[in-house]
Amino acid sequence: MSRSTHVAGPRAIAARVAAPTLIAIGYADLARGGTLLAPLALVIGYVVLVPLAMFAD
Amino acid sequence: MMTTSATAAELRPSYRAAGLTALGVLALYVATLAPSTAMWDASEYITAAYTLGIPHPPGNPLFVLLGRVASLLPFGGVAYRVNLLAAACSALAAGIWFLVAERVLAQWITVHWVRRTGSVLAAVLSATAFTVWNQSVVNEKVYTVSLAFFAVVSWLTVLWCDEPDGRRADRILVLVAYLIGLGYTNHPAGFLVGPAVATAVLVRRPRTLLRWRLIASAVLALGLGLTPFAFEPIRAAHHPALNEGEPTGCSDRIAVACTFSDTTVRRLMANVNREQYGKPNLSDRQAPFSAQLGMWWWYFKWQWLRDPHGLQGALQGALAALFLALGIAGGVVHWRRDRASFWFFGPLVFTVTFALVYYMNFKYGASQSPEVVGVEREVRDRDYFYLWSFSAWSVWAALGLVAVWRILAERAGRTPRWLATAPVLVFGLLPLVGNWRAASRAGEWATREWARDVLNSVEPYGILITGGDNDTFPLWYAQEVEGVRRDVTVAVTSLLNTDWYARGLLRRPIYRYDEREGPHIYRGRSWPMPTRPVMSLTRAQLDAIPDYVELREPQLFEQGGIRAIVDPRRLEFGVPLRSDILVLQMLKDNLGVRPFYISRTTASYAESLGLAPYVLVQGLVTRVSPAALVAGGDTVAVPGLGFLDVPRTAALWREYRAPAAIIRRGDWVDRPSAGIPALYTTTALMLAQAADLQGRTAEAEKMRQQGIDVAEAAHITEWFVGPATTAPPPATGSDAPRGSALPARP
Repeated sequence: MSRSTHVAGPRAIAARVAAPTLIAIGYADLARGGTLLAPLALVIGYVVLVPLAMFAD
Repeated sequence: MMTTSATAAELRPSYRAAGLTALGVLALYVATLAPSTAMWDASEYITAAYTLGIPHPPGNPLFVLLGRVASLLPFGGVAYRVNLLAAACSALAAGIWFLVAERVLAQWITVHWVRRTGSVLAAVLSATAFTVWNQSVVNEKVYTVSLAFFAVVSWLTVLWCDEPDGRRADRILVLVAYLIGLGYTNHPAGFLVGPAVATAVLVRRPRTLLRWRLIASAVLALGLGLTPFAFEPIRAAHHPALNEGEPTGCSDRIAVACTFSDTTVRRLMANVNREQYGKPNLSDRQAPFSAQLGMWWWYFKWQWLRDPHGLQGALQGALAALFLALGIAGGVVHWRRDRASFWFFGPLVFTVTFALVYYMNFKYGASQSPEVVGVEREVRDRDYFYLWSFSAWSVWAALGLVAVWRILAERAGRTPRWLATAPVLVFGLLPLVGNWRAASRAGEWATREWARDVLNSVEPYGILITGGDNDTFPLWYAQEVEGVRRDVTVAVTSLLNTDWYARGLLRRPIYRYDEREGPHIYRGRSWPMPTRPVMSLTRAQLDAIPDYVELREPQLFEQGGIRAIVDPRRLEFGVPLRSDILVLQMLKDNLGVRPFYISRTTASYAESLGLAPYVLVQGLVTRVSPAALVAGGDTVAVPGLGFLDVPRTAALWREYRAPAAIIRRGDWVDRPSAGIPALYTTTALMLAQAADLQGRTAEAEKMRQQGIDVAEAAHITEWFVGPATTAPPPATGSDAPRGSALPARP
């Protein structure tokens, strides 16, 4: 394993920042009663960005 | 293990070809896609998606979010858009089965186009197996989203099996864990791939289990995947139109204290664990295991030739035997040629077939073995629970067919004559041809029209008591998605036995009746808008109503001119349930204030409450009158059926749209719900009988013919032959909540 020497690339970093941000925005809008932004943010966050954050180099 | 050593280039997945295959499958699904909703749970889930609501437990938060996003597409109606989600998910799965098949074939077929053809065959066969196809062209539930997760996890696991130890392999495994968790928030079936993944890990790289950092990461990822369940209490606190289980402690508005309360946790866990349904212990078998396996086989036969009217039983049986044999052959080939992926796929097929049959522990299927009488049956055919089984089996069946092709090609000449022997592949296209008519939902409008017809049978601001899925969910769809007759309050008895449903009825706003949208017969009259909720009880009083009352003697219910003897012996459980108490409460509170109806799909309910002398048939519903009815004038007593409001029913009939939709479709594939077309036929025959009694012979003949046309289109004419000419079976079946402590049936 080259765990200690690995440096995440910009795509991975972007996904790792964007995923929790978008999910947080989604839940905040949901709590506000939103029915448009909330589902969009949560779907993109959970289905696209989290997997990308996990897989991207 | 492998007779052909595939090179790295040969094992490289053909993602582009898989994508094109998936697009081809999507085109097939779009060509056969339902333009609107359908019976059973389709309406509930489309409504949940559109309103961002909570469908029945476990609440399926991921599906609701995906469905809501799909409903925002800029074309088609809402139902069409959500149906497209189902189609796209299944098409994605088909594309992935292409990749899985290609990988196995690469180990023993060297000819590129042969491999490619075999892979397409696997995709097409899995896409056209009846249940997969039929579920992919209308979003009946959440199962095609599950299928997509199932396929994606499968492919990632196959990739992991090939990947050398290292960072990338670890990431794949963590991603698999995340997707299993996320898939669970769509449906518990998301965990079905778990045992197969565990087997692959154990067999391929058991050392993995000793790497605690990796295992901890996978567990964390799984937990992260489960977090969409947080959607439920947050959204539920806003009390959307569909708020099943009401997984929130917030009574009126969202707040931190009530959201993070014990009540919220208790209700959320009750939803997630589906406590409402009180599933029996696995050791308490609901039918013999052999009968449960028989149910799987019954639906397996449907996959290759759906024969809803039993006209081609021998051919259907022969095809099932063929595809069973091909699947077994494909499994053997998989084992012999590509052991690496077999260690995932083999356990997967086992899990979604034998293990799932045992776990689901079903009663006899609704249509299974009709010759077996006196056994408890599921309210409907549950073939959709084996969608994953049939989909995966199709991959093996395609591999088996390619194996047969190879044998024929090798025997046809000194070098394999693939092209000359390719016609054998036509067997793989038989489901495409044989299932088209039954699987296609193109042009299917009957459910939407049925909902509209029922709602329009109710006078403005009326209360309608319904009994189950098919007389309730389509109405929810019509009201909440299409805005049809929202002034009507629909109250379904099966859910009135829960605590949350009645609270939702109290919260429901009173919507103004729009005369322009209603039937002509209600126009030009004054319809005062009620100002009070449908029940006079407070929430505390509602919550205090017990699940049932230990009352075994007949009781008098008296209100206005109604003197009904409620005889518990006529009630389903021998005592009045919470739902019976609430129905009588609503009747008491609204007699003379709002019109009160009971759907004809559950007509025996009025009788069981002792209300038979007071109910008057008006179209598809029966109206509870404030005094005992007598025949005369517009009211005709139809022998064996009760009182019929002739002019009202005739006027409504003229505006009903479902009969034409049923006749245009020319079939009614789902037999357990065929009571719906039967209700139209019954209505037409009642009108014909009334016209006969009134001496209007020509009118009687015309109505009779219209009823027969519907029955013929739905293939139910046999229900109207003989002495019981107008008493078809009801079609309201539902998975009634059983979590409350209901008394033993008498």
